[in-house]
Formats: sequence, C-alpha cells, structure tokens
Amino acid sequence: MEKRSILHMLDPMPHNSPFDINMAMDAGFDVLMPYSNVKLESVHGLTQDAIFSRSPAGIKRTAIFVGGRDFALAMDMLSASQKAMVPPFEISVFADPSGAFTTAAALVACVAKQLKEKHNKELKDCKALIFGGTGPVGIATGVISSLAGAETTIIDHLSIETAEDIAHGYNRRFACSLIGGYAGTDIEKAKLIKSCDIIFCTAKAGIQVLNAGVLNAAINLKVVGDVNAVPPLGIEGIKRGDNGAPLQLALNSKGAVAVGALAIGDIKYQLQHSLIKEMLTTDKPLYLDFRDAFLKAQKILNL
Amino acid sequence: MEKPFILHMLTTAKNLSPFDVNMAMDAGWVSAVPYINVEPSEVQGLVQDAIFSRSSKNLKRTGIFIGGRDTKQAMDMLKMAKRAMVPPFEVSVFADPSGAFTTAAGMVAAVERELLKNFNTTLTGKNVLALGGTGPVGQAAAVIAAQAGANVRIIGRQLEKAQHVADVCNDEFGDGKIKILAGADADKAEYIKTTDVVFATGAAGIELLSAELIATAAQLKVAADVNAVPPAGIAGVDAFHDGTKIENSVSGAVGIGALAIGNVKYQAQNRLLKKMIESDKPVYLHFEHAFEVAREYVKSKTQS
Repeated sequence: MEKRSILHMLDPMPHNSPFDINMAMDAGFDVLMPYSNVKLESVHGLTQDAIFSRSPAGIKRTAIFVGGRDFALAMDMLSASQKAMVPPFEISVFADPSGAFTTAAALVACVAKQLKEKHNKELKDCKALIFGGTGPVGIATGVISSLAGAETTIIDHLSIETAEDIAHGYNRRFACSLIGGYAGTDIEKAKLIKSCDIIFCTAKAGIQVLNAGVLNAAINLKVVGDVNAVPPLGIEGIKRGDNGAPLQLALNSKGAVAVGALAIGDIKYQLQHSLIKEMLTTDKPLYLDFRDAFLKAQKILNL
Repeated sequence: MEKPFILHMLTTAKNLSPFDVNMAMDAGWVSAVPYINVEPSEVQGLVQDAIFSRSSKNLKRTGIFIGGRDTKQAMDMLKMAKRAMVPPFEVSVFADPSGAFTTAAGMVAAVERELLKNFNTTLTGKNVLALGGTGPVGQAAAVIAAQAGANVRIIGRQLEKAQHVADVCNDEFGDGKIKILAGADADKAEYIKTTDVVFATGAAGIELLSAELIATAAQLKVAADVNAVPPAGIAGVDAFHDGTKIENSVSGAVGIGALAIGNVKYQAQNRLLKKMIESDKPVYLHFEHAFEVAREYVKSKTQS
C-alpha cells in the first residue's frame, strides 16, 4: 500500500495558519502535522527526524512547509532545513510565511499584467509604492517588485526608521534596491503618491489606507493592487473583484486601473495550491520560496 | 473531487481535549487541527485566515470548534468568530468548553424525560437547585433549565461567588431574560425542602447531597449527578442510575447518574458536530442548540 502523504508544518509563531492548513489539505496531503513555536535552531533536528523514518520511496510522500510571519526567518528556516538533508534521505520544503510569498507574487504579477495590457509598460519602467510595506506581505511584495526592476519604496505608517532599516536589511540579503518611506497623514500620503506609477496596498485587513482625496494627488498612476478583502478595503473605490477595472476616483490619472483582493487571491490560490502539489508529484526534492512563486505566477498569467 | 472536511479546533488551554478530538473524527471530520493557548484576541485573525482559503462551496466542509475551560470566554470567542466572518466567506462555529454545554444539555434533557415519565410534568415552574453549580457544567445547566421555565438557584460554597456566577448567567447567557438566583452551600438544608430537581455538578468525589437531606426533600422529583467518580455527588445515585428510584426519598424521586447523562451528551455533541457538516448555511452553535438536539435524541428514544 502506498504510504499516506505527510506534511510537517513548521511555524515559529504560536499558531499555524488555518489558511495554510486548508490549502495543504486541498492540495492533496493526507496528514497535516502542525508544529508551532518552532525555533530556527530546531529546524535541523526536526528535518532529520522527518527524513529518517521513511525509506527513500516513502519520503517522496513526506514534505515540510515553513510558515510564520517573518520573511527573513522563513528563508533562514528553509535553508536550515535544506542543509539538514542527507541524500538520498531528502524531502521537499516550501516556505510561504503567512502565505506572504504567494500573495506577494500574485499581487506583483497581476499588477504587471495590467501594466502591460493597459499601459504597455513593464515593472522596470515604473515607480512603485507599497503601503503597509513593512508587514509580511509588504516586504515580500517589495523584494519581488524591486528584483523585477521597479523603483520600489516600502512605506511604514509609524516610522521612517523602521522602513529604512527593513529596506537596508533586505537589500543586503537579497540584492534588491528597496527604499524606505513613511506616511502617517493624508497630506504625507498625497505627497508620496504624486509621482508614482504603481501602488501596492498590503496593509492590515479592514483598514482604508488611501481615500479619494489622497488619490487625487496622483498624476502618473497606472495600476493599483489591494490585497485587503475585508471591508473597508485598502483603497477607496476599489472593488474586491476588480481585475483591470478603471480606478475612477483617481481623477488626475486617466487610465489608472485596479486589481482587487479576489482577483489577486485567485492567482495566489492557484500558486500556493500548485506549489504544495508539486512537492507531492516531484521526482526529486524541491526547495521553494518567493522566487519560485513569482516565476509560477508569471507563467500562470502568460507574462 | 470533494474537499476533505477540516475542523480547526481552538482552545485557550494548553491542550485540546482528546475527548473532543475523538468526537470530531467520529462525527465525520477528516482532519482535526489543534490550535492551543489561543488568546481571545487572536480569534478574529485565525477565523479570517481560515475562511479565505476555500471557495464558499468548500467552506461548508470547513469548521471551527471552540474549547477551553471558561464558559463566558468561550461564548465571547464564539461571538468574535461570528463577527469575523465576511459573507459569503463564512464557516460554522461550535463552542463547547470542556464539553460543558453538551454535558449540561444531556443532563437537563434526561431530567425532563424523567419528570414527564414519572411525574407527568415539565420543568416549567419547578424549583431547581444547582449544587456545585458555579463551574462550567453547572452554569450551562442552570441557564438551560431557566430558559425552559424553571426557577433555578445556583449553590456555591461562597454566596458571593455564586451570586456573581448567577449574574453572569442571567446577563451574558440569558440576555437578561432569565432570573437565576444564588445561594450558599451552608443554607442548602433550607432550600432542599422546596426543591423539585437537583443538579449535582461539583468536583468529582465530593458528596453534595447527603441521604439525611434527601429524606427532608418533601417534593424532590429528579436528582441528576454528572460525577462518575465515587463517592457519588448525590447519596444513593450511582453512575449507572437512569431513572432509578432513590432510596431515602419520601417523594418517590428518581436518580440519573453520570453514564446515563454521558450517553445523551455524546449524542448531542455528535449531532452538533454533524450539523456543522450537513448544514447548508453556516451555523453558530452553543448550549441552546446542544439542548435542542439532546431533547430530540431523548424524545426519539422514548418513542422507539
């Protein structure tokens, strides 16, 4: 009898994400084992524990998922797990902290598609702002957008130091070129968005970050993407189902279009689903992170 | 392909109750995922995480169970979970802290059955004494009985604590529509004289009602005890009793023990866990629903 497939779900936070649990189950894993409060130091031991109890044939039915809320920590855990493998005792590992890698990959790819279709531009021609830029999805969006060539600013709503520290840290580690920014008030937001081409909104669910008044300030705006699915949405006038619909409230940016949370969520879902599934179907172990997510997102959207 | 049934099981305690995990699996949930040490403030985030990863069709195959030990906290978490839904992204939630809601429902439904069978009457207007009634099972049983029309008094060792619990029951669980009273354990000899029904829901191994007091209970009809560990909470009522005459009773009262209550409790919890799966639209289940299904079960057994 074929062994049941097992996904060991490692999470440094107090709880695994119910979102990821649903996704892993739906992608076809038979058994999910949550491990919460996992420390980076424990990843080596947990990985080796997981690989040595099954034959090389059996371990094809075994994989590790790395969750959490922290981009860098998830990447560290992914690499610690990869280093702990002892070929041929080796299994696939997929890092997607808070689903941030797949959400960010879907967001950036959906926006890139609209840029190309509606404005005949590419990310590398554009200035991008990320509101809620210092949270998990914001950082991942920033790294992906910057590596794709956009001049990318991650914006914190409390402190410029936080944003700059994060930008420098990620630039050093992932060879991207993030800029740190800050905007607390509507006036500060309006000033920032004046010259930008792209707005990514990755702020907390249920909070409106940009209202119509602020949007008026934008004169070059081409595409906005908002991952918030809980009303009020992050950008006034956007609808969850928008996928290239005109952002009419941006009065001074003719032709600006919007991508809402459900359109992004649809691609994100396909991405996470297929990456988890690949761990079950692959012949040799895979180590998947935000780069794989963005490549796959581009493929899904024919970019 | 149909998506597997996933029950996200939240508890504020440091472990889930293995009882609840077994129950969930046996009711048809394929995967039961534990979330321990959950803070009430985390409920909204966990719920919204759970609802957005499946289509609204498959959300019918997703549920949330709220355990823990504290009745009010569990009810608060149930309300928070309900508020966190973003229709049509919505899943069913069932709160049963320490299994207290279904245990209480099982006990009250069994009591109702014995009242009807032996005394041809109902809970309406009956005087109920909830001994050791300040814990989770006692609270839920008091509220269910009060909602069914009984005059309930919660008895605790300290009057002050019993009064506080009664207030919480009336205001929080009964929406201000019920009036549960409080009493001190020291005064129960007085109360027992006019009591029709006794619930014993104290800690295991403590006798709450002695044979001497039972002999003074002139209108006692049914006495139910959830304690399965000897000595029994009510003298003369053992775990196997199920409508059995209580020795010493001058009024022909019958006793219901822990195993008989446990049987109805099991059915109630099983049915609610199944209801989450079978219901077409999301349901939010607590002690009231537990009592509905416990009653249904008891009725179906009586008829057959």
